Amino acid sequence: MLPVLPLGPFVLQTPFLILIAGVWLGLTASERYAHRHVYDANRLSNLALASLVAGLLGARLSFVAGHPAAFTGNLLSILSPTPTMLDPLGGLFVGILAAVIYAQRKKLPLWQTLDVLTPGLAVFFIALGVAHLASGEAFGAKTSLPWGINLWGETRHPSQIYEILAASAIAVVLYRLQATIRWPAGVCFLGWTALTAFMRIFLEAFRGDSLIWPGGLRPAQIVAWLILVAALTLLGKRWPEVPPVVPPVSAPTEIQEGL
Amino acid sequence: MDSYPRNWTWITAGILLLSAAWIGLTTAFAPATTGGGVAFPRVGFTAPDFELTGLDGKVVTLSDYRGKVVFLNFWATWCPPCKAEMPAIQNLTLVYPPEQVAILSVNATNQDNLADIQTFVADYGLTFPILLDLDGNVNRTYQVQALPSSFFIDAEGQIQKVIYGGPLSEAMLRAEISRLVEELS
Repeated sequence: MLPVLPLGPFVLQTPFLILIAGVWLGLTASERYAHRHVYDANRLSNLALASLVAGLLGARLSFVAGHPAAFTGNLLSILSPTPTMLDPLGGLFVGILAAVIYAQRKKLPLWQTLDVLTPGLAVFFIALGVAHLASGEAFGAKTSLPWGINLWGETRHPSQIYEILAASAIAVVLYRLQATIRWPAGVCFLGWTALTAFMRIFLEAFRGDSLIWPGGLRPAQIVAWLILVAALTLLGKRWPEVPPVVPPVSAPTEIQEGL
Repeated sequence: MDSYPRNWTWITAGILLLSAAWIGLTTAFAPATTGGGVAFPRVGFTAPDFELTGLDGKVVTLSDYRGKVVFLNFWATWCPPCKAEMPAIQNLTLVYPPEQVAILSVNATNQDNLADIQTFVADYGLTFPILLDLDGNVNRTYQVQALPSSFFIDAEGQIQKVIYGGPLSEAMLRAEISRLVEELS
């Protein structure tokens, strides 16, 4: 675990740096995918930028709205560079909202845009696992299995490593499939969503920090199951529109480019 | 829907049933949250107890503050972000009554010196307990990797938030502490 990196008088938050790297690598992967699928990469970059900026602003404003008393008489604190004064859920909501508004204004095709964003999401989720490993968050439940790791005073499931392996496997499977078969628009995104939700349902059981409802139910599993229902239903509807086709023989040189 | 694949419905139903069964099965696993049973300097765990002597000679034990929200700050006089956030921490004493919130600051005295600490406390007009970690044991127990480091502990003695580094703004401190104070009532 390496939650911070002391650098003289400064303390760098390692997980935050890893997440920034994940966003950058994810965008690079999405731009490559966009080039290969004749999608305007500039529009993709603008969409991501609008969403990120709005998401950050939304996260801060949502934090302020949740704790108004803390800012009364000290309004300038709203502009404080403290990264902990962010509400992730509020930021996610505003970021998605900004992306939807931008996409509608620019008349971006919904399913193609989501497909182009998928490689980026796949890479970002790997980075998220690495960030959890660095911070020690999302830690595993106690175990006596031989591959358990000693963490926070107990031998635990290496849940962060499970998370990285699962996200990497999903990314590799999708990369292989999209490189060999031209799927109908939306299938790439919905496939990634379904696989990610399925993995979350499975892996959540090994977490040691889950929120638990009475009866032992984990809300994260319930939410992931509902997402899985939606993704599989939509996948079924998208699937038959155009039958998958194998790209022409000249395609292998493009396949080498990566996600 | 003419070309809707008949098999897809069965595949979907199978995957959903399988995952629902897993969700049901895993409710029987041991509770996943740590529940505060283990003392460890992490969110969700019980704050490790300690006993330290203050600058005023009084002995302070963390567990004596059960029932109150505790803001625990690790610092040293030579650390610039520690200096920057001290006025905000001092202001907390004006906002929260001592019956609700205890502010404890642990000085890494093994990396500091008493004369500097006394000057620092006088210069900043600090009124909360300044605890001296002479051998660095409490810093080690709390796995302090950077100064300042701050721990927000609820009335049950469970760590609710950890922040490595600083300086923390007063708004941030008040937001976190107020959230824990609201849980008191």
